Amino acid sequence: MQINPFQRQCNILDYALSSLWRRKLKNAGILVIFSLVIFLVASFQLLTRSLLGTADEILAFAPDITLQKLSAGRQVDMSEARLAHLAGIFGIAETMPRIWGYYFDETNGANYTVIGLAEEKIAAAGFPLTGQEETGFLKRGGVIMSPAVRDNMGLGERRAFSLFRPDLSQVSFRVAGVFSKETNLVSGDTILMCLEDARDLFALDDNAVTDIAIYVTNPLEIDNIARKIAEMMPDTRVLTRSQIRKTYQAVFGWRSGFGSICLLSALASFVILAWDKASGLSQEEKREIGILKFLGFETRDILALRFWESGLVSGLALVIGLTLAYIHVASGGALFQPILLGWSVLRPELFLTPALQFSDFLLLFSFSVLPYLAATIIPAWRSAIIRADTVI
Amino acid sequence: MRIELQNVKKIYNQGMASEVKALRSVSLSIEQGAMVCLRGASGSGKSTLLSIMGCVFPPTSGKAIVGDKQISRLPDRFLTLYRREMIGFIFQRFNVLPQLSVIENITLPLLPLGVSPKERVRRAKPLLEKLSITHRQDFPAGNISGGELQRVAIARALINDPPFLLADEPTAHLDTRLSLEFMDIVCGLKKAGKTVILASHDPLVADHEEVDRIIDIRDGQLVLPKSP
Repeated sequence: MQINPFQRQCNILDYALSSLWRRKLKNAGILVIFSLVIFLVASFQLLTRSLLGTADEILAFAPDITLQKLSAGRQVDMSEARLAHLAGIFGIAETMPRIWGYYFDETNGANYTVIGLAEEKIAAAGFPLTGQEETGFLKRGGVIMSPAVRDNMGLGERRAFSLFRPDLSQVSFRVAGVFSKETNLVSGDTILMCLEDARDLFALDDNAVTDIAIYVTNPLEIDNIARKIAEMMPDTRVLTRSQIRKTYQAVFGWRSGFGSICLLSALASFVILAWDKASGLSQEEKREIGILKFLGFETRDILALRFWESGLVSGLALVIGLTLAYIHVASGGALFQPILLGWSVLRPELFLTPALQFSDFLLLFSFSVLPYLAATIIPAWRSAIIRADTVI
Repeated sequence: MRIELQNVKKIYNQGMASEVKALRSVSLSIEQGAMVCLRGASGSGKSTLLSIMGCVFPPTSGKAIVGDKQISRLPDRFLTLYRREMIGFIFQRFNVLPQLSVIENITLPLLPLGVSPKERVRRAKPLLEKLSITHRQDFPAGNISGGELQRVAIARALINDPPFLLADEPTAHLDTRLSLEFMDIVCGLKKAGKTVILASHDPLVADHEEVDRIIDIRDGQLVLPKSP
């Protein structure tokens, strides 16, 4: 008798679907738990990928090289006079002295990052802003801050506010602009002001800066120039943008890896449970397999049947889990932000675009669908080799 | 199309402490179109004999010819393929799947044959009509009476139109009326040219006028074959 293999598979798939429906409560339970575990793992993965993507975008604003002075292994202030030494290195397009410090707002219990730049550099940098007051130079007394800082200070539409110097005397400022939300990962707790204002706020010496941002004409020369600077100024730390990127990747990667291990353990536990459940086939299931075998189903038909059942459950769980994870990350990934971003007082408000790469999908598939298939098909094989006469 | 067994032996768990000699050198021949009753007490070996004739498993030794094939050395897979073409089997407890509908149960043997859903229904219709269960075709098998279940089991055994129909204690769970009804149906099948082998110790089956031959079996051996 000539058998149509396609129709045969369709028949087995049809039977698998009806079999799933017949055990709908059990299968719905598995589907819900499996989807939930995949959702957690996928959320973590998507969030990490998205944060790295956002960090990359923000790093586009970072200087090619950052120069900091070290003393006893710790970063200390340095004189703006060092700019003159850098002028002698061929290939440097621009240098930007900066003051980068942290201000603790006791009233609101938050740490802000205060960045001081030369007025003309702020104008030239072209930071993406909203709620801008001045279109030209950021003048003395004016600041640009993140929406989170403005909200945390409770400024509302008010522009005037004051901060305290180390001796507790007050300095008055005016909100000249607010960073747009796209830069929130880096600028989330930032107040940007003129170099002189930052010196005044932190009571630094005249000409003192915390670091120097350096821009290089030819990107291929960045490492070369960084090495020259390090040789010329051995008391400094020279950071290139790629090093900073690696640091970001290491931090997110470590946190993500830690979280992933926890969640993959949950996934493994689920698979072990599935194995346990599947290997203990009920009498009813064993009897059904016996009847099918007696009626002419071969071992491979029973395996195909189990494959379709498990494949449909795990595939559907993967799709549901991934979809939920995508929505979760697109709406901020609230569940895992504390783990990945740290428990800072002032959390940046994130607008992430989930980025799913094929490798991520493959990883999830390998850690969810494949083990589940194995966990259900191997015990099914044991039952599929039940002799047909067991039902007599 | 006949069944012939020569010095057939079946030993379960051979070489182990739990070894059971279920059949000891059985030889018999059943001609096409005959209705035969295998009679014996529980544990006498009649189900084992029926299983060998039904291509469920091969004998441990001896020669077993079913139809035109020597099945003694056929691997399990080929045995399955051959069984689904040649044998219709009716179980003692019917062995229908209660969650499936009547028509789904009847057409189950057609699934691994790659028969389309439309064709499955087309083949099932005459059987449903012949066995008077058309009105139950969409009922879950778990919701129908014992007599109807028996008919579903017969229809399922016949869906592939096999030349041999085997039944293991077919009347064990039926009352007299349903048992007689069952015998009427199988007699009709005999008249249609099927070879019918019934394993039973029910006198209603063994003493039925349409039974051509009774084969008594005791302790794995045939006892005094007789003609009625």
